Amino acid sequence: MTMTAALPISMIPGDSVIHRINPIAKLIWVVGYIVLAFATQNILILGVMAVVAFLVGIIAGVVKPLLKAMIILIPIGSSLLALQIIAPAVERPWTQVGSIGPLALYGDGLYYGLVLLGRIVASLIIALVVVMTTHPSDLFTSLAKLKMPYTLNFMLAMTLQLIPVFQREFGIIMSAQKSRGMKGTGFSAVLPSFVPVFVGAIERVQQLSISLESRGFGSNGFKTSYRQVKVRARDWIIGGIGVIVIAGLSAYSIYRGLWSLSAEIQFSPEFVTGLFLVSALAFFGTIAVTIAYSFKKS
Amino acid sequence: MADPKAIEVTKARFVYPSGHVVALDDVDLTIEHGEIVGIIGQNGSGKTTLTKLFNGLLKPTSGSVVVNGIDTAGKSVQEMAAHVGYVFQNPNHQLFARTVEAELQFGPRNIGVSEEEIAERVARAVEFFGLKDVLEEHPYRVSFPIRKLVGIASIVTMQPSILILDEPSTGQDHQTTHIINDLMRRLREDGTTVVCVSHDMPLLADVVERVVVMKNTQIIADASPREVFADEPLMARTNLQAPQITQIAMQTVVPLGGPVALTPRELADDIEQRAGAKKTARKPVAAQKGAAS
Repeated sequence: MTMTAALPISMIPGDSVIHRINPIAKLIWVVGYIVLAFATQNILILGVMAVVAFLVGIIAGVVKPLLKAMIILIPIGSSLLALQIIAPAVERPWTQVGSIGPLALYGDGLYYGLVLLGRIVASLIIALVVVMTTHPSDLFTSLAKLKMPYTLNFMLAMTLQLIPVFQREFGIIMSAQKSRGMKGTGFSAVLPSFVPVFVGAIERVQQLSISLESRGFGSNGFKTSYRQVKVRARDWIIGGIGVIVIAGLSAYSIYRGLWSLSAEIQFSPEFVTGLFLVSALAFFGTIAVTIAYSFKKS
Repeated sequence: MADPKAIEVTKARFVYPSGHVVALDDVDLTIEHGEIVGIIGQNGSGKTTLTKLFNGLLKPTSGSVVVNGIDTAGKSVQEMAAHVGYVFQNPNHQLFARTVEAELQFGPRNIGVSEEEIAERVARAVEFFGLKDVLEEHPYRVSFPIRKLVGIASIVTMQPSILILDEPSTGQDHQTTHIINDLMRRLREDGTTVVCVSHDMPLLADVVERVVVMKNTQIIADASPREVFADEPLMARTNLQAPQITQIAMQTVVPLGGPVALTPRELADDIEQRAGAKKTARKPVAAQKGAAS
């Protein structure tokens, strides 16, 4: 169905343990994940981070939409691995482990490719899980408590709230176009729908700003919120553990010179060649399917 | 198949895939070719969901929907578009071309109408909807009522044998409502089947010949507008309001054996007739009044 086909990057209502954690505690983990992901080149740490984030997703009961949103990783991941294997983004010397025709394949390239992918995967999963389990208003209220400037906070919350609105709008517009016999399914079909989506978005934002002003937005004084967010002992503990674990690991990793295991982990030539072929195929396959799809029927 | 019905819905049930929301439950509905049908009911009663089954935008979870003899189950919306035109409630969802003219040409071109025929249809629509002055304008630059007309016209140029109008008169002024009213009458003369979802009771009372009443995912009444609007318990149960003129008639002339008026004209005629009868009975008074005026 058109309406559910869009990327599900919005809150998914639920009452899991993860849903009930204070937004700030969750935010600490997201920021911490990103800090740690870039403070280390240790593939084991990155792997564990991704697995933990995914487990949190399972506990929160958002696995299905999570996997759906992660489809985006297929082209990104495959291109990243294929390119890194033939042209590592690290200092020479590189250790060549094999070759395909004129292309030399490098083991350190694969290691570094996996590190880059690990950073993206770990940060993306945790960020998605948090967005899917946090009501935008709760985040808003919590950030306000931290003395975040009201306008800035409002912009952030508004952006998160508008995403599902636009997704729904896009679904309706696609239905309307199809009802007029619009053919094709790829880009050629989506393109005409962008006009109404953007015009609608601009009109909506304009109207929103007028209505905000007429309801006294920008006036001074203490702001209250309809939704109340409690900070329980549990939230302090979760946030505290996050800070300690991440700060500790980041510091140790930096102390060890980003703790890269590229010297310790040696990939077999067959593994590197195989993975290169698979990711190159996946990358070009994705491109080919997308192109074929958009020209189909159009 | 011998003379298929325009729309045949059999035991249709629809559950939205995102949740466990049942939008339609055990709905049976047959609409003949050339009928003008109004669908009324409170928000959330299933009206729009039902009409979306007609052009295949939604497929029934169980039961069947057959349109012009074609089961929508195996068909895409694009394939159904040649049979069923669907005018969305908000024209902003529908319009995207650079000019009003291009907007009107988009639909028929999609279903493979020849260029000469398209030009002819567009010319006719422009004439009927009074869009001559805005033809070169961007659809988003014209006023909302006109934009709504453009939205309707962009479907009418496809000349579907079945036309679905979702709230055609929302946000419309008297003049554009009048055009919509005229359109429905003309479509009826052309033999087009029209299904109109609306809260605008006077509009429906004026043009439709059959009213389907929905409540809580089901059809609870299906009769002529006169029968439906005269059924006060039904109106109360569905939280709907008959047109004011019908309500006045129900409280005045109906108990005296007068008609369930649907338009001011009908009520006026009846009152005039009664007054006329009185005139003949009490001549002197009537004569005096006539002299005074």
